[in-house]
Amino acid sequence: MSRVKQTRIVRSVACAFALGVTVVGTAGCGMEVGADYPAGYYGDYPSDAYIATTEPFYYGGYPTYWYGGHWYYRNGGRWGRYDREPAGLYQRRMAGAPRQHAYERGRSGGHFGGNAGRAGGRR
Amino acid sequence: MHVKNLFSMLSVRCGSLGLMLGAGIGVVACGGGSARSAPATSATSSPADDETTADLTEHHRYHHHGGITLFIAMSLDTLGVSPEQQAGVERIRRDLYARMEPARAAEQNLTATLANGIATGSVDTAAVDAALAQLVVAAAAVQAASAVPLNDLHALLTPPERVALVDKVQAHWAVWQKANADQAGAVQTEGDYFTRLATDLGLTAEQVGRIRAGLADESKAAPPFDPQEVSTVLVAFGDAFRGDHFDAVAFTTARGANAHMVGWAAAHMAHFLEAVSPVLTADQRANLAQRLSEHASHNPSAEASP
Repeated sequence: MSRVKQTRIVRSVACAFALGVTVVGTAGCGMEVGADYPAGYYGDYPSDAYIATTEPFYYGGYPTYWYGGHWYYRNGGRWGRYDREPAGLYQRRMAGAPRQHAYERGRSGGHFGGNAGRAGGRR
Repeated sequence: MHVKNLFSMLSVRCGSLGLMLGAGIGVVACGGGSARSAPATSATSSPADDETTADLTEHHRYHHHGGITLFIAMSLDTLGVSPEQQAGVERIRRDLYARMEPARAAEQNLTATLANGIATGSVDTAAVDAALAQLVVAAAAVQAASAVPLNDLHALLTPPERVALVDKVQAHWAVWQKANADQAGAVQTEGDYFTRLATDLGLTAEQVGRIRAGLADESKAAPPFDPQEVSTVLVAFGDAFRGDHFDAVAFTTARGANAHMVGWAAAHMAHFLEAVSPVLTADQRANLAQRLSEHASHNPSAEASP
């Protein structure tokens, strides 16, 4: 095999490799690119009371809830979880806690941790 | 095979291999971010959830009047719509509460009657029964009265917002069922309604035992409740509301489900309080009566949704 042919094959493989990474990374992980979650949170999908009383963020066409240190979204009647925090949702989280509605007295707040998660109860 | 063709084929195959390899690495790298599915119904609670759950449970224990329509109206409090939609959603929310007002007033009358009876140590069962009957009639009318604003709501919301609303309605229903679970059973969980009430009123173990015995007798006389009827209506509502075409008028089964749910819950609450009242001290009765009076005067429609 000539040197030229060998070079052409190597280039071909390298280009295809890069293309594969780029295509899958862009299409499949478009919503997933972001930072690792902060450590120290529990993780499970949202409780009924949390869903009933907390505002979702709408992201990627889904209602999405920050709960227990992760973002959860509804997809076809099931819960999905972003294992890595999407950049868009990270920005939403940094902008402030989701609003929670208190129906009775003695309410506590949300799940962003500390007072940042508190939401104004009304009654 | 010609050597040139061989090289060309090799080049294509190697390119394909590279593409597959690259794609594979992309998928693996993406795997950490892929969705993990879990059942639609939530199964867990965290310490941070406890107060949220207790708050909503307390509410659903005493406020039933609108049935499914009340769940929908409450869901609008935290739907998180855009600023452009906010005024329209608030108008519909107020409209829904206005159409539930006769049922709310009937429930207020029932709760006030029970509060007065507990405060004086003598519950007027005839007055309670009359108030219950009035509430059931009013609750049965809520669904038909709410059809227009529900259709307006469907038209106003985006598909993801409709999904969120259906989730919230289902979540309210799940919490409502726990809030109104039979208190006569021997198995009680930490933080259930009766346990919290016992703590709040400072009941002794002897009082708790007497109340449980009374509840067991009352439960034999209480009307049966079939949650499946409401669940079926809610599934049908959810399927329709998530879709592009929705007509609330078609949900004729909701009328019966509403009356069933509201009537059973109100009767259940009355039976519970009638069983509790004779066991309480004067101070405990005053405490419970005050709590009921606050619920009776609580009018969610008077609160603006921000």
